[in-house]
Amino acid sequence: MRFVDYLLGGVGSGLIIALMALALVLTWRATRVVNFAQVGQAMFTTFIALSLQTLTGSWFIALVGAMIAGALLGTVVQFLVLRPVARADTSGAIIATFGVLIALQAAAGMIWGGDSQAYPQPFGNTAITLFGRDWPVSAYDLIVVGFAVVLVVGLTLLFTRTDLGLAMRATAFNPEVARLSGVRVGRTLTVGWALAGTVGAVAGVLVAPTSAISPNSFDILLVFAFTAAVIGGLDSLVGAVALGIGTGLVLSVVSGFSDSGNAPVVALVLLALNLLLKPEGIFGHHKARSV
Amino acid sequence: MPSRDLTRIPGARLVLHAAAALVVWGLLLWGTQALDPLMNYYLALVAMYATAMFGMTILVGLSGQVSLGNGALMAVGAYVFATVTLNWATVPFTGIAMNGWWAMGLAAVGGVVVGLVIGVLGARLRGPYLAGLTLGVAVGVPAIASRFPELLGGETGLQLTVPYPAGGYAAQEAVADETFVDELPTEQVIEDAPVDELPVDQLSVDQLPVDGAGADDLLTLDDFSSDDVLTLDDFSSEGDSGALTEQPVDELPVDQLTLDGAGADDLLTLDDFSSDDVLTLDDFSSEGDSGALDDVPVEGVPLDDVPLDELPVDASGALPDTGLDGGLDGGFLGLDPDFVLERWQAGLAVTVACLVGFLALNLVRGRSGRQWRAVRDDTVAAAVSGISPARSKVSAFVVSCLFAALAGAVFAQILAYVGPGAFGLGLSLSLLVGVVLGGRSSLLGAVIGAVLLVWLPEFVLRLAGDRGWEDQITNNAPNLIYGLLVVLVVLAAPGGLVGSLQGLVARVRRRP
Repeated sequence: MRFVDYLLGGVGSGLIIALMALALVLTWRATRVVNFAQVGQAMFTTFIALSLQTLTGSWFIALVGAMIAGALLGTVVQFLVLRPVARADTSGAIIATFGVLIALQAAAGMIWGGDSQAYPQPFGNTAITLFGRDWPVSAYDLIVVGFAVVLVVGLTLLFTRTDLGLAMRATAFNPEVARLSGVRVGRTLTVGWALAGTVGAVAGVLVAPTSAISPNSFDILLVFAFTAAVIGGLDSLVGAVALGIGTGLVLSVVSGFSDSGNAPVVALVLLALNLLLKPEGIFGHHKARSV
Repeated sequence: MPSRDLTRIPGARLVLHAAAALVVWGLLLWGTQALDPLMNYYLALVAMYATAMFGMTILVGLSGQVSLGNGALMAVGAYVFATVTLNWATVPFTGIAMNGWWAMGLAAVGGVVVGLVIGVLGARLRGPYLAGLTLGVAVGVPAIASRFPELLGGETGLQLTVPYPAGGYAAQEAVADETFVDELPTEQVIEDAPVDELPVDQLSVDQLPVDGAGADDLLTLDDFSSDDVLTLDDFSSEGDSGALTEQPVDELPVDQLTLDGAGADDLLTLDDFSSDDVLTLDDFSSEGDSGALDDVPVEGVPLDDVPLDELPVDASGALPDTGLDGGLDGGFLGLDPDFVLERWQAGLAVTVACLVGFLALNLVRGRSGRQWRAVRDDTVAAAVSGISPARSKVSAFVVSCLFAALAGAVFAQILAYVGPGAFGLGLSLSLLVGVVLGGRSSLLGAVIGAVLLVWLPEFVLRLAGDRGWEDQITNNAPNLIYGLLVVLVVLAAPGGLVGSLQGLVARVRRRP
């Protein structure tokens, strides 16, 4: 029964990992760049949300503010940093995203300070009691589930039912052909980054109450999200969500039976195993290995 | 050009590189005596960073694999060094007594082993996958370290005894406080230094943890005339008998003696002594000061009437200029100005850096360097030419991990501490920043990057002091600048500082 409890307890964190992985996949699909600054952007927008929250007292306004800020930040980073990097310089693109991460963390430290700050819990964090026992799920977890479902469904609809989604898929598939077919590739890429920024911002605001927020507090989330995204195939939205939840469950079970300090090590082992056995990921068909 | 022809002679390049490394090594070692302790400390840090970044140059620059794992590999080196020196009295299978060099050798072995594992896992992965895997390593390895509280010290880390003992623990702490405030455990105070592990012949009295106030009381050379005789008997009294009777006084420079007790601001001056006066321990001891010195297990050294004028004292008898103002009351005072801990640190770090630099120079300019570049630029073409891309990439990984582990062992000795906090993701990112800013594929760039990593925070700190910035701004300004600079360099000058300068020189040359 403890096992089931730990599994259920991992759903909320798993969905947050899934959202962050989703953001990574969105940028990857758009520009073939893994945005290692994604958690930095999420951290920054979550701080903005925290400021809005203290200003207005409304959790919802803070969330919306973070989403807008996330979209803006994603656009700015893509436009100013990633677009000018020479496409051949893959190392350069990766390094540039780390540069953005470092700068964002430092800027956040300057503005909001380096100490951990608590993010207010919008809804109760007490366990739900049902059928005469306490379940390791709180009302807040249900809210997280709700947001995740809405976002995933919304993105799926966007990609499959709209012109913009079609353009984005075409661009991801082959930018040159897409350009020839009249897709404005540059703009599409930027929209991809803006979307990723928004999703990341939601993930940040959702994860913040469960842990405190500081400039570096999301670093570990990057590792988890990257693990989930890569095992999921890095190319696949479904994979990111499925493996994000999966990673959350595994980490929750491991943390429950041993110690939460083991989580990074477990993530590293999962990632290494995956890269060794099936580097293209479970849902992906992209080449992770070469020669 | 004649030099080109020279390098065609077999072995000539090796000799040239060895000569260059030796000259640089000699110059730097000679230079340490001209630097004050703070500058020596910075030199040590620069050399340590350069050691690690030579590996980054090879891995990121030449082999084209962006890795964030090298900070973690430094942790591997540091932890191997620490556990080996703390737990093994002898080198396994040999019976040789463990010392710093053997421990560094074992740290290097540890680095190679871990590098091989990560290299094999990662060498066939393309850019972002590899970066992500090594990111996991950077976060995971310190987490592993904090899992083993008994062997590896857990979250608090391990305190190390630095082999060089002559003074300066307090100084080191004070210097380090400026730079690594959040990385150093607060417990690192003088009292914690396990004095009984220090080679006694190098102990200076002021290093011994003496409780009680009077750290400012100083006995300088001026206080003694050449006729004054200090005998061992003078030092023993009931309360303090355990310690000073066994202390090899003849090796203690008198100007290093600090006295507690004896009234707050009293400074003994020459006038206080007549030539017949004999200094006895009673003159120095006050209640409560006895406990500390007893802890020093010193094999008795016969000390009969050491004439004071034979003691090594510096000419002026004045206090050495520490180069540090403020906050260092007792700790620095009485150090031999020519050989302080920081100078030893600088010597160690420079020696390792020159050795590693020599190795790196040979690798980069030799066959492996060509292969690394070939694989980086066009993997398929390289494979067609008979180069094994996998082997080439793994070898770059192993070499860079070896260098990182050595740098980590040096870092452990500079900090006198190993812990998860000091080797986190931030360190890995710093290495990446340094190597990108200096010039990704140039060894000289690695050195320049190392200088930048040490100098910029210091520069910002000074600037902040002048402008009166808040701590929140000051502490984060270096990283903000690093981050923005990295982005700028990637966009505008992918070759870094060295690459840009080379481009400039080439353009000037081409002009008629």
